[in-house]
Amino acid sequence: MTVAAVNQLRQHKLWEKIIVTDEKIVRLTQTVKGAGCAAKLPPGDLDRALCGLDLPVDDNLIVGLERADDAGVYRVSDDLALVQTLDFFPPMVDDPYSFGRIAAANALSDVYAMGGTPKTAMNIVAFPAKTLDIAVLRAVVEGGLFTLRQAGVVLVGGHTVEDDELKYGLSVTGFIHPERILTKKSLKVGDKLLLTKRLGTGIVCTAIKAGMAGETITQQVVESMMTLNREAALAMADYEISACTDITGFGFLGHLAEMVVDSGAGLHINSAAVPLYPEALEWAMMGLIPAGAYNNRTFRGEFVTFAPDVGQEIQDILFDPQTSGGLLIAVSDAEAAALRDDLRARGVQDAAIVGEVVAEPQEKIIVE
Amino acid sequence: MKELNCRGLTCPAPVLQVRELLDKGTPSVVSVIVDNKAAVENVRRFLEYKGFQVQEEKFGVDFRLLGTAMEGACEVIPDLEAEINPEVRKIMVMVGTNRLGHGDDGLGKALLINFIKTLPEMGRDLWRLIFVNSGVYLTTEGSEALPVLRQLVEDGVYIMACGACLEHFKLMDKKQVGETTNMLDIVTSMQLADSVINI
Repeated sequence: MTVAAVNQLRQHKLWEKIIVTDEKIVRLTQTVKGAGCAAKLPPGDLDRALCGLDLPVDDNLIVGLERADDAGVYRVSDDLALVQTLDFFPPMVDDPYSFGRIAAANALSDVYAMGGTPKTAMNIVAFPAKTLDIAVLRAVVEGGLFTLRQAGVVLVGGHTVEDDELKYGLSVTGFIHPERILTKKSLKVGDKLLLTKRLGTGIVCTAIKAGMAGETITQQVVESMMTLNREAALAMADYEISACTDITGFGFLGHLAEMVVDSGAGLHINSAAVPLYPEALEWAMMGLIPAGAYNNRTFRGEFVTFAPDVGQEIQDILFDPQTSGGLLIAVSDAEAAALRDDLRARGVQDAAIVGEVVAEPQEKIIVE
Repeated sequence: MKELNCRGLTCPAPVLQVRELLDKGTPSVVSVIVDNKAAVENVRRFLEYKGFQVQEEKFGVDFRLLGTAMEGACEVIPDLEAEINPEVRKIMVMVGTNRLGHGDDGLGKALLINFIKTLPEMGRDLWRLIFVNSGVYLTTEGSEALPVLRQLVEDGVYIMACGACLEHFKLMDKKQVGETTNMLDIVTSMQLADSVINI
């Protein structure tokens, strides 16, 4: 990429901070193998590594590892619990500052998905000091700080190691009321499912890495990934919510599968109502699909039945690993439309009712 | 046929390589070797998107996708030679031995080297040169035929060595020239050739 091209991008505010080393522009996505949440270890492997571990027991641990929820919750007193989470990954966009913002929004998201309020955070950094200018690291951390300020969270420290590839993320601690925790596993039959962000970021990021995504879509998807789930979480507080999770590396259907397992209920998804990036449809058709999407389908495909008219590309997008995806909210039928309208009024434009919780078939997801 | 080796590449790199290849012109047959499932799926989708019919097969520990351009695929560009001179024939020479004729083996080996060295006399008509069975020895380290084979590749002759045969003789890592091929390519080549010469 030429300096002139970058200046053009700069004018369009696509890159907020441009890093130039030896007259060459560093494209972060070209320096790493995986990208964003698509770089997650395949879920099957993770299960094999973690199942049957002898975990310490503590009555105050309300949500722990065995629940496979978004974040852990530890009771401090009758009206206060800590909600803790951690997320880090290699860059999925070229601009380091935007990458920092995305990583922070993504790490904070788990706290919002539990219904908590994030309070403190610590940086986790792996940095290839031999190949990347230290200014890149500075920009990444500045991006993270920007998002922490947006969320009203303080940075209390961090840890940096040298590595072959850049990775950045945060560990986040928040407060939550022990009686008002939103887990994944409390679906109620009759509830409506609401999704707050569009799907397809994994595929779009693959197209960005391939140099095939234009400015408009790149900006759109970067903007979405940088957007905190804070407004969505604040809106939820006023409604009757039975379950919530955030959509990240396991993809929309992967996270839904986690919700239906042992729930005693099933899910019915209306694929036509699911908000997505239309560009991702064509890129899916062209095979610009992150490996994580195939892993997700392999691992969670057995839970899902697609109606014959649900196209292959839609299926791909429904399994596409999301980076800093939206919240998936199970809300009572009576309040669903009001919550959606409230979300939109708060600027969560893409919020849509995408399905419902059904009694039968149990622990299955039907996509129509 | 065009071949791409995308081993060791993760998505989206294999798709980009195939795209780059097709941007130069659409071959009637394209073969892509990849080493992971995601790349298999993605390359298959890309080839289908571009109007190819795709076959998938195991290729040792890897995977191989064979795309055949369908009618109506982005306009198929005929072979370069045929474009320049429609009179050019397509002669395929299949070498299934490391010696020519029967009688004295030492003489047979020398004769075969001489035969290969004389092949360039066919000019542009020589289209493909395929080595099978002990013929694959000619493409490996220490073969006297290497200089002339390399020259033929430079002149645009497509040289292929049978993968199963290379494996059989444990020569896979000794091959110095040509693409590794399989029976489907060989049969497809025979079908496309104007004449086939068997040695």
